[in-house]
Amino acid sequence: MKTALRVEGLTRRFGRRWALRGIDLEVEAGSVVALLGSNGTGKTTLLRVLSTLLRPTAGTVEVLGCALPDGGAPVRERAAFMTSEGHLYEELTGRENLRFTARMHGLTVERERVSAALAEVGLEDAADTTVRAYSTGMRKRLELARIGLRPVELVLLDEPFASLDDDGVAIVQRSIAGWKGRGATVIVASHRVAQASRCANRLVRLVRGVVGEDAPS
Amino acid sequence: MTELVRRAGAILWKDLLTETRTRQGLSAMLSFAALILFLFTFAFGADAALLSRIAGGLLWVAIVFTGTLALGRSFQSEELAGGARLLRLYPGDVRAIYLGKLAGNVLLLAALELLLFPATAVLFQVELLPHAATLTLVAFLGTLGFSTIGTFFAALTVHLRARELLLPLLLFPALVPVVIGSVGATVETLAGDPFGRAGGWIRLLTAYDVILFVVCMWIFPVVLEE
Amino acid sequence: MQRTLGALALATIAIGTIIGLFIVPADGLQGEIQRLLYVHVPTAWVGMLAFFFVFIMSTLYLVQRRLDWDLMAASAVEIGVVAIALTIILGSIWGQGTWGVWWEWDPRLTTTALLLIVYVGYLVVRSMTEDPDQRARWCAVIGVIGFVQVPIVYLSVFWWRSLHQPPSSPRSMATVFGFTLLFNFAAYTIGFAYLMMRRYRLAKRELSLELAGPDAEP
Repeated sequence: MKTALRVEGLTRRFGRRWALRGIDLEVEAGSVVALLGSNGTGKTTLLRVLSTLLRPTAGTVEVLGCALPDGGAPVRERAAFMTSEGHLYEELTGRENLRFTARMHGLTVERERVSAALAEVGLEDAADTTVRAYSTGMRKRLELARIGLRPVELVLLDEPFASLDDDGVAIVQRSIAGWKGRGATVIVASHRVAQASRCANRLVRLVRGVVGEDAPS
Repeated sequence: MTELVRRAGAILWKDLLTETRTRQGLSAMLSFAALILFLFTFAFGADAALLSRIAGGLLWVAIVFTGTLALGRSFQSEELAGGARLLRLYPGDVRAIYLGKLAGNVLLLAALELLLFPATAVLFQVELLPHAATLTLVAFLGTLGFSTIGTFFAALTVHLRARELLLPLLLFPALVPVVIGSVGATVETLAGDPFGRAGGWIRLLTAYDVILFVVCMWIFPVVLEE
Repeated sequence: MQRTLGALALATIAIGTIIGLFIVPADGLQGEIQRLLYVHVPTAWVGMLAFFFVFIMSTLYLVQRRLDWDLMAASAVEIGVVAIALTIILGSIWGQGTWGVWWEWDPRLTTTALLLIVYVGYLVVRSMTEDPDQRARWCAVIGVIGFVQVPIVYLSVFWWRSLHQPPSSPRSMATVFGFTLLFNFAAYTIGFAYLMMRRYRLAKRELSLELAGPDAEP
C-alpha cells in the first residue's frame, strides 16, 4: 500500500509548552483516521504541521511524498485543511467565498466548479447571501464545499462535528465517505469519539502530545 | 509571474468587495482626514499665507495618519476570517498576499487622496490644476512608498498585542524618506518649482520605493510563518 | 576569556578617559566641552557597530533559523540602544555648549534619534511575544528592515537639511586629538565585545529558564 503520510519523532513546542512530544505515525493512502484525544493533547497542532502551516520543532514529516517544512509547496496543491473555526469572509456571499478559493487555487472553469460544489452540499439557495447570515451548519457546509472545489488526496478536518446538529453531522460524514470513495486519505481530529469513529477505519488517540493508542476501527 | 499576479488579483478582488460591502470604512477615513486638516488650521491659526505655504506638509501628515488606520484594517479582516496565516494554505508564492494587500492599500489611499487633494486646495488656497501631472506622480510615488512599508508592518503587527501602538512605532521611522520626499516634491511643485528641486525629491522617492519593495518582497514570507 | 576581555575593556576605557580628560589639551576653539567628543564619537561607533551586528545576526537567523543568532541580535540591540541613547545625550550637551542649542536638526543627530526609536520598537515587539521562535522571526525581520532603511533615512534628512544650511561637518583634527579618539574607539569596541559576551550568556540562560519548567521535557 502507498503511504499518505509518515511522521517520525515529531515535536513542536510553543515556548515552554510542548504541544507534540514525539509523534510517530504512518498512514496508508486511502484510509480514514480518527484522531482522538481531549482538548490540548496536540490534535490541532499535528494537523497544522501536516497542513504545512506550522514548522515542526524537530522530527521528520513526509506528507504525500513531500518532506516538510521545506518541500511543502506541492502539499498545498493536493491537500485540504478545514480548521475548527473556519476560514470564511463574513462580508462575502457563499459563492464569492468559493470563487476566491478557486482563484487562489488557480482553478479553471471556476463558475461551474463553484456551482457544482455548492449544489453538492445543498447550498444553492443561500449561495448569494453573505456568510454573516449563515447558521453554524451552513458555514460548515460551505467549508466542505470549499474543499469539494478541487480533487484532493489528503483531507485534514479539525473538529468538523463541533456544534453541529444531527443533519450537519450526517453531511460531514457523507463528505468523508465521498473523499474515501475517491481514494483520498482523511484525518478527522475530534474529541467526540462516537461521531469520528463511525466513519473511520483507524483510531489514533493522542495523549499529552504522543500517540497513546492506535487501533483499527 | 502571471500566477503571482493572478493570485494577488484574487486577494485584491476579495478585499475590494469586502470594502464596498462595509462602505463606512472609507467615509470614516475621509472624515478623519478632513478633521486632521481642520485641527491643523486651529493649531496654526487662520494665517492664510502660512497655511498655503505649508499645505503640502499638512496634506501628507493627514495622509500618513489616515493611511495608518487603513493599514490596520487591511489585515484585521483576515483575522476575523480565522487568521492571515490561513492564506498560506493556498498554493504558490505567499508574496501574492503581500502584493494583493499592497494594491488594495494603494487603491484605498488613492480614493482618499482624490478627495483630500482638492480639499486641501480649497481649505489652504493653493492651485492644484496647473501642476496636476507632477502632483499625480508625486502622490502615486508617495502612496506606493507608504503602502509598501505599511502593508509589510501591518502584516507583521497584526498578531501582536497592542498592534495599534506598535504599527506606528515601527512604521513612522521607516516612513521618514517617504514623508520628506513627498512633502518636498509637493511643496516645491505647488510653489511652481522655482529652484528645480522637485525632480530630486521624486528621484529620492522612486529609489526608496524600489529598494523597500525589493526588501519587503524578499522577507515577507517569513512574516506569515508560524 | 570573558574576564580578560572585561579587564582589558575597563583598563583601556579608563586610560582613554584619563587621556581625554587630563592629558590632551583643551580645544582652542571649542574649549573644554570638546572633550565630550572622546566619548560621544566612540559610543556612536559602538551603536552603529551593534546595529550592523544585529543586521548580520538577523539575516543569519532568517537563513539558518538558529535561536542563538536571535539571542546575539537581541543582546546587540540592547547594547546599541544604550550606546545610541548615550550618544544623543552627550551630543545634545555638546551642542548646547558649542551651538548654544540642545537640539539641532542636523542630519546625523536626527537620523540617530530615529534609529533609536526603531530599535526601541524592536525591544517592545520582543517583550510582547512569548513564543521564542515567533519572537525571533519578527525581531529578525525588524533587524533587517531597520538597518536597510538607515542610509536612506540619513540621505533624505541630509537633503532636507541641506536646503536650509550646510550640514555641520567636523573640522579636521590635530594628530593628538585623532590619536585619543582612535584609542577610545578601540577601547569602546573592546567594551562592546565584552558586554556582548556577558549579555549573550545571560540571554542564553534566560531562554533556558524560559523554556524550562514542569512541562519541559518532550
